[in-house]
Amino acid sequence: MVVKVGRQKDLGSKKRAGLFGPTNLFGYFMILPAMSVLFFFFAYPLTFEIWTSLTDANLGNDAKFVGVDNYVKLFADPEFLTAAKNSVVYVSFVQAGKFILGLGIAILLHQKLVARGFWRAVVLVPYAMPGFVAFMVWKLIYNPDVGAMNIFLTKTGITDAPIAFLGDRTWAMASVIFATIWRGFPFWAIMFLAALQAVPKELYEAAAVDGANAWHRFRNISLPGIRPVILIVFMLSTINTINSFEAIWLTTAGGPSDATVILPVFAYKGLTTFQIGESAAAALSMVPIAIVIAIFLLNKLKKD
Amino acid sequence: MQRTNFKFEVFKYSMLTLVAIFVLFPVYYMITLSLRSQSSLWSKSTLLPVDSNLDNYRAAFENTDFKRALLNSVIVCGTATLITILFSVMAAYSLVILKFKGRDTLGRIIIIAFLTPGALLFIPLAVIMANIGLSNSLQGLILVYLSFMVPLGTYLLIGFFRSLPPELEEAARIDGASRLQALWMVLLPLVAPGLVSVAIITFTGAYNELLYSLVINISPEMRTVPVAILNLSVADEVPWGRTMAFSSIAALPVMAIYFVGQRFVVEGLQTGSVKG
Repeated sequence: MVVKVGRQKDLGSKKRAGLFGPTNLFGYFMILPAMSVLFFFFAYPLTFEIWTSLTDANLGNDAKFVGVDNYVKLFADPEFLTAAKNSVVYVSFVQAGKFILGLGIAILLHQKLVARGFWRAVVLVPYAMPGFVAFMVWKLIYNPDVGAMNIFLTKTGITDAPIAFLGDRTWAMASVIFATIWRGFPFWAIMFLAALQAVPKELYEAAAVDGANAWHRFRNISLPGIRPVILIVFMLSTINTINSFEAIWLTTAGGPSDATVILPVFAYKGLTTFQIGESAAAALSMVPIAIVIAIFLLNKLKKD
Repeated sequence: MQRTNFKFEVFKYSMLTLVAIFVLFPVYYMITLSLRSQSSLWSKSTLLPVDSNLDNYRAAFENTDFKRALLNSVIVCGTATLITILFSVMAAYSLVILKFKGRDTLGRIIIIAFLTPGALLFIPLAVIMANIGLSNSLQGLILVYLSFMVPLGTYLLIGFFRSLPPELEEAARIDGASRLQALWMVLLPLVAPGLVSVAIITFTGAYNELLYSLVINISPEMRTVPVAILNLSVADEVPWGRTMAFSSIAALPVMAIYFVGQRFVVEGLQTGSVKG
């Protein structure tokens, strides 16, 4: 889609301007502000973080180079291993849930509907709600004393005693996953809906003439038609979900004990106890996953 | 045939109603609880709106820390959004319209920055901001926010600039416009919907940001809204009515902007495929 940023046909492409030719200079001038931001607040911090992760930095000492000690310590730390495992569980279930709900609702919105615009606006509500508000509200809904979920379950007699959804190891992860799906699925639904609408109508008509039933039309026309969008949405959303600090921090803060600690929460807790070198190493341990996704995405986008 | 169609209609709209309840219930619950006192919550367990009054909202508007946080958020996100739009327009214009050496590499750097999870860099950013004396300041937070807003804005605007017909700039230049005139008078008006969508998406992105704000602006008078709401809770004790009233005040204006500008948001999401 967008990665090969330049156009095939460019202005001045016939001119062979040198590095400091007028077009070149103007181009550099225009991109300079954005690049300065990225240099000072992206490239430099990243380098600094990699360096820090190789030192014993904590509050008030001069950082000494310790090589890969932090990484060795990290991979022997049971809480880090739990955080890594939780991250995988959290991201997998959240993404599966968003995919199923997003696709289902997109298909629903793609039908002939009275007031489709209204229904689409309704579906957008969780996405429009600020994340920090959404997760505070879910924390309230799950509350054992005053939360809606428990009022509903006990009033209808489904359970006798209230359940501490966020305070009980059996429920905490599932509850957080559910709240994260609620907040994130609209993006998927809206993107899938747009993709479905872009599939040429003639294909369906031709298939109907050939006698294909609804499932075959979906399987052989809709699904291949929206495949590129599925891939892009999947990857962008995965990076965002790996990153979802607030979803965890505002609901369970990683608890009970370490049941819902994911990598960003682990790194944040490390920073608050001033284990800067180790926290940096923990944050950087998210990079391999992000790189795999990014390379995949860049290649995918280049092909289209 | 007629019968199955009718059944399908019923099925469709009952599913939509279920979706609407699923989606809207938390908003309903936030608002009804924002109107109740803590004692009412404990004494009456009901999902219906009872004991409604505006005390929690009155408390919010009398709370100087919260008003300060709202102001801080507006200043930080507003300023950062304006800077983001300026820098992103310049960068996207240069990457799509202009031809220069290393353009593809620079474009790729922007996309890599866009794809980097924010949680990766909060530690060095907090340390760097402390070292240059900008932690606990609104300026510091604005600078840090630019680190994710500029790549996001540029990524989105690249999509909008690429959707313009390639001959457009050329034609304007043949008519005697300079490059900047062509950008200002011909291209910018055409990507105006893109500017609106970038403004809404980056502003809300910054407004919702919790982690950077939490580690960089520690003192109470520099807090942004998310941190202020988080800090209403003391230990595990959450004053629910009050928290929900403050949350409603924080959320409803942003949600209103979102719905007024819905067309632009959806267009922006589709042009750029942002996040979720």
